[in-house]
Amino acid sequence: MSRLEAKKPSLCKSEPLTSEKVRATLCVLKGILTSSYGPSGRLKQVHSGLGGCVCTTSQSSALLSNLPVTHPILKILTTSTKNHVSCFSDCGLFTAILCCNLIENVQRTGLTPTTVIKLNQHLLRLCTHYLKSESCGCRIPVDFSSPQTLLCLVRSVVTSKPACMLTREETDHISALVLKAFLLTIPENTKDRLILGKSIIVPLKGHRVLDSTVLPGILIEVSEVQLMKILPIKKSDAFKVALFCSSLSGDLSDTGEGTVVVSSGVCLENAVLEQLLNLGRQLVSDHVDLVMCQKVIHPSLKQFLSMHRVIAIDRVGVALMEPLSKVTGTQPIGSLGSISPSSYGSVKDLCPAKFGFKHFLHLIPNEATICSLLLSNRSDTAWDELKLTCQTALHVLQLTIKEPCVLLGGGCTETHLAAYIRHKTCNEPESILRDNGCTQTELQLLTEAFCRALESVAGSLEHDGGEVLTDMKYGHCWSSQAESPSVVNWPDLLSRCGCGLCNSQEELRWSFLKTTQHPIAPQTCLPHEAIGSSNNLTLDCFTAKLSGLQVAVETANLILDLSYVIEDKN
Amino acid sequence: MVMACRVINKRRHMGLQQLSSFAGTGRTFLGPLKLSKFIIDAECHESVLISSTVRLLESLDLTSAVGQLLNEAVQAQNNTYKTGTSTLLFLIGAWSSAAEECLHLGVPISLIVSAMSEGLNSCIEEVVSLQVPVYNVFDQIDNTKTFSGLETSSVSLCPFLQIPSDSDLQKEHDLKDVASPSLTFYNLSGIPVRSPKLFRSQAEVEADKNTLQNPQSLQNSLLTGSRYGKSILIHSRHFNRTDNQWINKPDGFLEQHGGATPSTYRCSDLVELEMGLSHGDHHSMKLVDEAVRLQYQNASMQQGSCMMPFRFDISRIFTCCLPGVPESFSCVCPGFITVISISNTTLVKELQNQPIRILLIEGDLTEKYRHLGFNKATNINTVLESMRVQQDTTEELWTNYVLQVLIKFNVNLVLVQGNVSEHLTEKCIHSKRLVLGSVNSCVMQAFAEASGAVPVTYITQVNEDCVGSGVSVTFWRSIPSDVIDRINVITIVIKMEGINLVTVVLTSPVTAQMQTKEDRFWTCAYRLYYALKEQKVFLGGGAVEFLCLSHLQILAEQSLSKRNYVCSGWLPNTSSWLASSLALYRSTVLKCLANGWHKYLSTLIYNTASCSSEFEASTFIQQRLQNATDSGSPSSYILNEYSKLNSGIFNSGISNKLEQIPSIYDVVIPKTEAWRRALDLVLLVLQTDSEIITGLGHRQLNSQETEGFLFL
Repeated sequence: MSRLEAKKPSLCKSEPLTSEKVRATLCVLKGILTSSYGPSGRLKQVHSGLGGCVCTTSQSSALLSNLPVTHPILKILTTSTKNHVSCFSDCGLFTAILCCNLIENVQRTGLTPTTVIKLNQHLLRLCTHYLKSESCGCRIPVDFSSPQTLLCLVRSVVTSKPACMLTREETDHISALVLKAFLLTIPENTKDRLILGKSIIVPLKGHRVLDSTVLPGILIEVSEVQLMKILPIKKSDAFKVALFCSSLSGDLSDTGEGTVVVSSGVCLENAVLEQLLNLGRQLVSDHVDLVMCQKVIHPSLKQFLSMHRVIAIDRVGVALMEPLSKVTGTQPIGSLGSISPSSYGSVKDLCPAKFGFKHFLHLIPNEATICSLLLSNRSDTAWDELKLTCQTALHVLQLTIKEPCVLLGGGCTETHLAAYIRHKTCNEPESILRDNGCTQTELQLLTEAFCRALESVAGSLEHDGGEVLTDMKYGHCWSSQAESPSVVNWPDLLSRCGCGLCNSQEELRWSFLKTTQHPIAPQTCLPHEAIGSSNNLTLDCFTAKLSGLQVAVETANLILDLSYVIEDKN
Repeated sequence: MVMACRVINKRRHMGLQQLSSFAGTGRTFLGPLKLSKFIIDAECHESVLISSTVRLLESLDLTSAVGQLLNEAVQAQNNTYKTGTSTLLFLIGAWSSAAEECLHLGVPISLIVSAMSEGLNSCIEEVVSLQVPVYNVFDQIDNTKTFSGLETSSVSLCPFLQIPSDSDLQKEHDLKDVASPSLTFYNLSGIPVRSPKLFRSQAEVEADKNTLQNPQSLQNSLLTGSRYGKSILIHSRHFNRTDNQWINKPDGFLEQHGGATPSTYRCSDLVELEMGLSHGDHHSMKLVDEAVRLQYQNASMQQGSCMMPFRFDISRIFTCCLPGVPESFSCVCPGFITVISISNTTLVKELQNQPIRILLIEGDLTEKYRHLGFNKATNINTVLESMRVQQDTTEELWTNYVLQVLIKFNVNLVLVQGNVSEHLTEKCIHSKRLVLGSVNSCVMQAFAEASGAVPVTYITQVNEDCVGSGVSVTFWRSIPSDVIDRINVITIVIKMEGINLVTVVLTSPVTAQMQTKEDRFWTCAYRLYYALKEQKVFLGGGAVEFLCLSHLQILAEQSLSKRNYVCSGWLPNTSSWLASSLALYRSTVLKCLANGWHKYLSTLIYNTASCSSEFEASTFIQQRLQNATDSGSPSSYILNEYSKLNSGIFNSGISNKLEQIPSIYDVVIPKTEAWRRALDLVLLVLQTDSEIITGLGHRQLNSQETEGFLFL
């Protein structure tokens, strides 16, 4: 008997942003994100509440993927941030915080959405245009002949994730390893297009961070028992390799639906095994030296292969398949039928390796653009964070090779950009007013909201009750302790700006970020002598930050433009 | 799905409080004298006796987020080093209180983090001066001087080394002993176990003097000593000859000068090393010593003249536990000793005294078993085409096939890593073949190497090359048959020429203590393993921790006097205002960190029962610390003080034979890593400000809990 239930009517809410509840949840989300931002950001324990592993993190990718938010507005925000992170790895928190700030600030102005969107887009264009221009004062070109800038970039990424729990020495070690791993993925001789290789992160949990290392080639973890069966490896100039992506375990997993009827006396298992052994015979007659399988190899086939001095490694895992196929030049084999000779590849050398208590088989390819980064950290949660961090750093380096410049970190880009926008709208408002058809007051209000949003992101770097300042010359970001005496010798109290480029001993004037900012023309030329000499700069990835800025403004515009939320209650 | 988020760091830091309360449960496990605990399940009235941190955490409910992280940290330490977990747990507690104290004093969190990790790193650099290199301990390996040999000699040299006769103290000890039987260490020769510790309070020194002057009390204490196996203090011999040997170099590192000929300070004697690493558990260390010697002998026999440097291979040691057998039967033997059911007696009788052939099976030896990764299809039906009735089941057919193979290849012994079909085992007994299941993988590996057998998964894989030969099976009769008959099993030993496998037989009359015995053996074995691997040890017995404590106090004083001393390198963000105000708070944070060490040391002293209260222990350390700081150079002062203390107590009897008193050593990397791990966890929790609980409905939180939760 079927039962019919009447459909519930859809729920329609107008002006979702004006609701108190939405504002409150948005505020909670912003609180979570801002408190996690930067090198002294607070950590979050993410867990299911039912036991199981606890993830301690302050990274946007880990936080956002674990936040099952309910309200559509929050969903828009987290989804677009996640999209940004999946493309650029870095600057996720920047994006989300900036977006929250924009929504909050713009709402206070009480302007109509149409005007807001138009003006926001105009200001965004001003920003991107400035950041891409030669005269940009918060951008540094990357000099590939020295590792200094790249090392600073990596170190900035690593130090901005406090849950990795690294000491200074360990930070230096990891930064150097990441850079080395990245350099190993660059092919030595390129023709017209540069194709980067891959760094594979191999877990070595429980050991000291300083035990981490990087090796060219691929490490495949094998059990000691398995390794003993393989050894000694015969010497050869090159090893012929076959790589299987299908299971060679001899089971009949793909019998489909329905029932297979077999008459007694027929043993399917034996039939499959016979097929596997035929495959083995072909491999032996083709003089293959090394057989690798993503899944399991039947013990009998393994025995057969080892009897014929063929090394068999199974359970390689899906993650290693692509790099293995690339390094050895093999075509992964997916069937038990006959193998075309073109599927085979080769490696230069094979050797056993041991790190900690783990045994590995080390594959050294002919032309290496693949390397293995063995990462260790004391605890699981810190290891997970370190792994994410290293992946981010590697990705950031890849992005930097495409666009060879970096932005100043430590909040300096944000404050500098805000100063530039203020200056621009104050001095040349005519074209903006003409293009967007708005009044001078509207432009002033929105510029203030936009610049405040940017400056608040810089201010979010402070978590211990300090004050954030900006200087009147470069527009960089400075921090000082709270409740400073009224008559204060600023140059002595402040030492360096957030990115580390400017020194307080220069003739500078400062103002608190929270006070009203007067439009200043930020110096666009950088103190170049400082760039060369300083090896302790805080830097951000150019591409990631630029995209973050765009995503934040676009998403804020989208959310501000929402007038109805229609929910299907069925 | 609703996400809940709880702010855990408003006024009081809940995470840190949870950490210190969890860590408090393991306080009594610190030091060589571990008080056992009974863990009782209130529902099913089952109870376990535990005496180690790892076992404690296994039985605790650690479902909260902080508990999970704590468990993870302890497990990681245990999996990597097998030692240092009690230190880890204690320091987690001590330092989480220290961090909380700093929060109360208004120190910004980022500064606590950087100053604490800076302080600990500085400690780790400082204690390098207390490292002792371990050189070539196997060069002078001497069979006449074994572990037990030294033990007796040292004891006979200092016969008055008995417990203090302070009556109050004695009463308390007796009470403790009654309350927890595992406190008592029974020793083979009835020699009292000495607790390795450097500290000794004045009260005890007095007490010792009393003991000496008063023959009556000496007798009493001897009696109690033999009854309970009391803890007695012993001091490092190296401090006894240090009056003019330790010279403090300007850079603060210690260097030893031995009169006219400067002798390098090192440990090159295996027995001395083992003695120092035993931490009072001589019984377990004696077994480790024997195991190492057997491995060494085996290695030198195998290699003949071309000697590779010998490496202690801990993976080739196997433990066999025999509960219900008196402790004195614990021993070490080459080969594989195991317990089998008494029904096999006749079979073993027939198999012994002849070389037999062996087969090794990975996985189970049952008809249904398939290798890992084999997915059995569920939708296959077998139909009978003819009406011929099958007489045997598939199980029967399989069993017969296995037997045929065993007969064909003349295999009399099958070692199986997994389970074995009972039916098959019975059949094999009838055809004079022994099948043993659940064999440890290290045993399998050792037999594979020695006999040339290749482990296989299926019986169908067996060919002539897979079968090993030259193995012998005999009864193991080191335990008298009347003892072993009582527990209704027989013990057999399976050996062969040149096999690199040593079985340590652990026995205990109390079944509940078996686990503890095994844990303690492995702790000793791993301590020795790491000492040999790293080729260095720390001077132990609290020396390193005391140096850390005094070093931190000096650092704290220094940063007070030199306010503008800038060391901002520890902050990730050097340009932040925090960098410049670090100097302001550094001394406070370092003092709190030092308090953690203080707590550690006083608990250590209290646990080893040389002080009647923790307060007394604390005062005692305070006193020593004051002296150490006054002297200007704590490290050399400590060493001199100890030498004075030692000579005051011991010199009358053994003045010229100080060489015989063993030192106390600690492993280096496992120890410092435990410190780092402890601080890491505390700082991780300190920096955490909220807990995000995913996948939790509103309904699952009851009304009281909802308070403090925010929903998205």
